Amino acid sequence: MTGRRGATLLELLVGTALGLAVFAVLTAAVGVAGRMLVASGTRAESEDTAQLAMEALLFDLRRAGWDPTAAGHSALVEARDDGLALAADLDGDGAIATDSEESVAWRCVLASRRLSRLVGRQSLPLAEHVTGCAFRYLDGQGGVVTAPVTTADLPRVRAVELALRLLPPGLSHPTSRSLLAALRAAP
Amino acid sequence: MRHGRERRGGALVAALATLAFSAALGAALADLVRTELRLASERRLTARLLGALDACVADVVAEIPAGWDLAALLAGADATPGTADDGVLPAPAGCTAVARPAPGGAAPDRVLVRVDARIDAARRHLDALVRRTADAGVGALLWLSAPPEAGAITGVALLDGADATVPLASLAAPADPEALDAWLAAESLALEISPDTAAPVSASAPPLAELGARVLAAAHAGSEALVSSGAPAVGLAHVAGDLAVDDIRLGAGLLFVDGSLEVHGSLAFQGVVVVTGGLRVAPGASLAVDGGLWLGVGSPTLAVEGVLVLHHDPAAIATADAVLPLPRRAVVAGARDVG
Repeated sequence: MTGRRGATLLELLVGTALGLAVFAVLTAAVGVAGRMLVASGTRAESEDTAQLAMEALLFDLRRAGWDPTAAGHSALVEARDDGLALAADLDGDGAIATDSEESVAWRCVLASRRLSRLVGRQSLPLAEHVTGCAFRYLDGQGGVVTAPVTTADLPRVRAVELALRLLPPGLSHPTSRSLLAALRAAP
Repeated sequence: MRHGRERRGGALVAALATLAFSAALGAALADLVRTELRLASERRLTARLLGALDACVADVVAEIPAGWDLAALLAGADATPGTADDGVLPAPAGCTAVARPAPGGAAPDRVLVRVDARIDAARRHLDALVRRTADAGVGALLWLSAPPEAGAITGVALLDGADATVPLASLAAPADPEALDAWLAAESLALEISPDTAAPVSASAPPLAELGARVLAAAHAGSEALVSSGAPAVGLAHVAGDLAVDDIRLGAGLLFVDGSLEVHGSLAFQGVVVVTGGLRVAPGASLAVDGGLWLGVGSPTLAVEGVLVLHHDPAAIATADAVLPLPRRAVVAGARDVG
């Protein structure tokens, strides 16, 4: 009767050990799943960030050099391997307002691991944890125009390429994107 | 029994908690995937729309005939301002294009073209600034009014469009570039193209009738402008009817032959040679043009049984353009996505 009503010490120990083992396995499984979820979220965010940066640059490049009044504005104002500056007369008033979207610059700052888009004096960080960021410039025949591009050579640039690499904390492999976009303003 | 029930109850709670946690994780993961899929779908649609816009602009501008200004675009197909078709341009399926005056001064001649592209229910707009090119012509050595005919070259032809900055295309004609490539390949035994010459381009026919009228309206000489020796004077020459060159002739500027041109001797020209009919270079004869050769339609349009040499010479074309402004193709000078 005593044995049927209760458990022996051995039974308790075995039961406890089994319970702990099952609990440990479950905890590990849940932990792994949680980490996977966090990593997936980080990866998705990293991919989205890189993609959004590329799309933003694409739209800036597509409209660069917009000059409906034929005032003679150039698409590319500055071209370096770590950044560029673009101009577009978006409101068609014949002038480029330096404190508006008509004058946009992009900067890679690897020291602070950041890619930023500058409008006037405002700097908008587009991507953090940047481990690689380089602009390249191509002429009409696909040849590379050496950066920094001199003022005289700026009209030769017909396409811009950006290679971007991000490595946020928690990820072992970087997110990489590259964009090659032609300037649509005819020389 | 009570102890046993408590142990089973504990396991059930643990299992339910684990299940709930797993379900929460699964739901979060599913939500993440759903968001990413939606973003990817939106991006794919945006990319397709941007591609459709760019293709539409390229097609619309390619259909604009070469000419001197763009005023005709604003009046529409009926050429009458103030009607419903004002500014409406021919556009491929899935998009529309409407031209309107550009802001600012009248010069240089340019128009704004609003392009609207649709894919299913999605649509995007783009403004393109269209103007004529700075360089005369369509950027090709040989500009034809009709697709070239097979077997046109039985002699020797050399097309050299090499240039340090902007190489010229070997050939332009109102035909698909693939068809022009195929013609060049078919003629390759007799046709030599210098390595740095650009690929053939599709282009509307040269506006020969209007160019002829402009030549006649300007001060011009006749076939006597082609000299037999010495440096030819740069000028405008108009030949009404067919022209046959039986000896050695030199010329410079713009030669407009309102008929066919037959070369039995040797003709060397610096500038632009325009022939509204066909061109035939007889066996043993040669035609050398530093500049451009623009042809109408003849029977045949082009027959090279002797030697034809076309060299890219921007200065010669600029000189001809200075003698009489030449037609130019339309290009996109800029574009802006407007939503």
